[in-house]
Amino acid sequence: MIGAIATAIIQATLVSAVYALIAIGFTMIFGVAGVLNLAHGALLMAGAYVYGIVVMRNIVPSMTYHPAVGVIAGIVVVAILSLLLYELLVRWVEDNVVITFLSTVILAVASTEFLVWIFGGQNIRISLIEGQFALANARVAYYEAIGFAVSWIAIALLWFYVTQTDDGRSILATSMSERGAQLTGVNIRMVRAKTWIIAGALAGLGGMFLGFDSGLSPLMWLNPLAVAFIAVVVGGIGSIKGSVAGAYLIGFIEQITVELIGNGFRGMPTLILLVGFLLFMPQGLFGREFAHE
Amino acid sequence: MSLLEVENLTKKFGGLTAVDNLSFGVEEGEILGVIGPNGAGKSTVFNCVMSRYDVTSGTITFNGDDITDTSTHKIVNKGLSRVSQESDPIDIFPVAGNIRLFTLPNSLLSLYGGADMEEIASYAARVDLQDKLEETPDELPHADVRRLEIAKALATEPELMLLDEPFAGMNQQEIRKLSEQIESLREEGMTMIVVDHNMSGLMQLVDRVVVIHNGAKLAEGTPDEIAENEDVQDAYLSGEEI
Amino acid sequence: MSSLTLIFTVLAAASSRASEVFGTIRRTILTPIGRVFDFLLAPVDRAFRPLAKVFNRTLGKFLGTVTGLQLAFVLTTFLLLLTGGIWGASIIAFEPGEGLIALDIRRPLAYACIWAVFAMGWDIQSGYTGYISFGHSVLSGGAAYTTAVLLNEVSSTLPLYVTAPISVFAAVVIGLLIALPSLRLQGPYFSLITFAAVLLFFQATRAFDILGGSAGLRITRVIPAADSFTRYYLLLIPMLLIAVALTVLSRSNYGLIFTAIRENEDAVSAAGINPTKFKIWSFLISSIVMGIGGVMLTAAVSNVDPTQFVQVDRSIEMIAMAVVGGIATVLGAMGGAFVFFLLKEVVLNLFIDEAALRLFVLFLLVVLILVFARDGLFRKLWHRLGQIGGEEP
Repeated sequence: MIGAIATAIIQATLVSAVYALIAIGFTMIFGVAGVLNLAHGALLMAGAYVYGIVVMRNIVPSMTYHPAVGVIAGIVVVAILSLLLYELLVRWVEDNVVITFLSTVILAVASTEFLVWIFGGQNIRISLIEGQFALANARVAYYEAIGFAVSWIAIALLWFYVTQTDDGRSILATSMSERGAQLTGVNIRMVRAKTWIIAGALAGLGGMFLGFDSGLSPLMWLNPLAVAFIAVVVGGIGSIKGSVAGAYLIGFIEQITVELIGNGFRGMPTLILLVGFLLFMPQGLFGREFAHE
Repeated sequence: MSLLEVENLTKKFGGLTAVDNLSFGVEEGEILGVIGPNGAGKSTVFNCVMSRYDVTSGTITFNGDDITDTSTHKIVNKGLSRVSQESDPIDIFPVAGNIRLFTLPNSLLSLYGGADMEEIASYAARVDLQDKLEETPDELPHADVRRLEIAKALATEPELMLLDEPFAGMNQQEIRKLSEQIESLREEGMTMIVVDHNMSGLMQLVDRVVVIHNGAKLAEGTPDEIAENEDVQDAYLSGEEI
Repeated sequence: MSSLTLIFTVLAAASSRASEVFGTIRRTILTPIGRVFDFLLAPVDRAFRPLAKVFNRTLGKFLGTVTGLQLAFVLTTFLLLLTGGIWGASIIAFEPGEGLIALDIRRPLAYACIWAVFAMGWDIQSGYTGYISFGHSVLSGGAAYTTAVLLNEVSSTLPLYVTAPISVFAAVVIGLLIALPSLRLQGPYFSLITFAAVLLFFQATRAFDILGGSAGLRITRVIPAADSFTRYYLLLIPMLLIAVALTVLSRSNYGLIFTAIRENEDAVSAAGINPTKFKIWSFLISSIVMGIGGVMLTAAVSNVDPTQFVQVDRSIEMIAMAVVGGIATVLGAMGGAFVFFLLKEVVLNLFIDEAALRLFVLFLLVVLILVFARDGLFRKLWHRLGQIGGEEP
């Protein structure tokens, strides 16, 4: 019993870090650019598949680079994809919330079909590095620990960037008041582009580590998108702290569910949690009150 | 008894107190003016009355009914209607359609109820828009859009109208015309509260004035009394003519 | 950072060049073609004008007013649909590699009717009120699973007139469960709840045995094995009835209020109308339609499983269909469903074998429509038809 609880806690702590990474990317786009990018999950998926293509032998046999190359490729490619997503699509529809919603979600479903066509619908395993070690009665895979470390480093770097550098602070300023930021000389287009690039990079990185856990699948964008959305609602829009808090709450609930009830019911309590928050505390844990927008 | 009674109204947004223990009443048939510098809390008071915001404390009574926590649409159905500061007409409906929406009954059983074209035209005529019924709001000049907002409020057949900055963005001629239309509404028996910055237009129109400063009531009285009130003159040091 | 500026400049230059080219195409090719159509179709408009006058006077209040050409278009479409069982049996098509072939498209046409019901059901709520639901497949899936569970757990010989009402009722209950708590919230949060609902239901169908798991539940054909001809009409008639009913509703005060909710919800409150009440009502109407559609789908398949009925892709396809035809026009959604479905199952099938690639292409097309023709194809067509000939009778 103790072992199960220890495993749950440790697993939750590790996986939540990756969830936090994903949630932060999503909330940045929402908070700064005002766009609910439902293709965020698809960007995640792209990161995982890029790693698979670059590194794994069973996907593209001619490409078997070192995992580190794969990770970098995943981050860079998805960052570029994210920017393209903005320049080629979102920029033309962001005036209309409904159209943005619809076009990003349809793009996400389109990407599922694309991947089914190219790679087929079955689950493909990708791995960073094999092996596990023991930590306080629980077995922890090396990649899980690395994922944890990498996520927190990324979050810390982002936090530093956004709060300490002029460049990053301009992004924060824009999220609070676009007009105000513009008046102080901030180049809004640049800020937007940077936000999408950063969100893309975070998505790519997070996607890869989710992929190591669950394998590649053309539908793998659904659950992370739900997690990101829920974490943002729970934590409060545009709040990095809130995203982390929300992500950890979800991670823990998921792991406890898996340990106590079973894998098949994994996502359900989270979804119920979401409904609870939306009904009783819609402003989230850290967010602003938006009852009368 | 006053038609509308606001008692000890307080509204806080986090740490900011926008309305501070404000009390005033509106008598039936009068036009009450509410003036105050920018950010004094005037629009917030209206928003609280119409339940667009929840009040922090205080009560609002209309015709004897407590409407403090009543939802907006119910308040409108009781006879209280408001013309917002910002015009926000529905651009895909023509003027007639915009007005028609405001005549529809709040009933799931009514598929075809509401005013017919004649009645809609008469609402439009009261603000001189009867010739523009088929035009869409984005084709109209600013003053006409403001008049459309008033026509919409009239279409709900209110007893009391809240007019938030009705003269905003209008020139002298338009202001005079609108003042005349407001006067004729009063002659028809409408009670009104008018909020505006434009002192000259307002002071000639209203029966009584309430002055709000920093969310609290600074002074109350007839336009002449207010014009001579020293506290009011101090508050307006940055130079509005009274 | 300077490399970024370079990327920008290139992209900006490319997109402005692209819009230049597009403008030229429009001027030199599309406009002249448009004028030819104007010339050819004007006589049709004149010919139908007297009939349109009568229509507007009698049915205009309920169905909307039309010009001569628009009426001709609607009548032609309905005529085509009503005779589909006959001409659908043998369509000439060109298949690369095989040349001209004859296709029997009555089965896709029948299925398209079901999807038209889904698209219209989605549109009357999401398209009109602007509260976008991603989980409409929960409603149709709920009805379908109710039918399947009844047939499997109670009796496999239950007749349609028993299972259908219960199933539609189930859809309504699910709809109320979703709508009542969530329509108080702002748009995106409502959408999120519907997204969560479909994910939840999808997991539930695979987790609980009574719902059959991922394999689903086998059901006997709810309508006796019908030939292509009968099946088409058994599905066409309900679809047309629903189309007419929803069009009437959309032209009534309901449509006005739903649209106003989308455009300016505060104005609806300011008009003394309770927006939440009408939002829930739109969802209820939608649930009934989705329930009927769900029952119709069970009548056409032999298996009720999560992939066909519940998976979020199905919800998105409904949305895509409505978007293609025109959001917030009932008949546009119907048309969009036919266009989307027939493209997917018939037209693209001629060139592309893999279903996934076909869908990929179609979804990209939908995104393009959202960007360049967000009003929808049928709405644009309708307006264009209305402009030919001139005045409305």
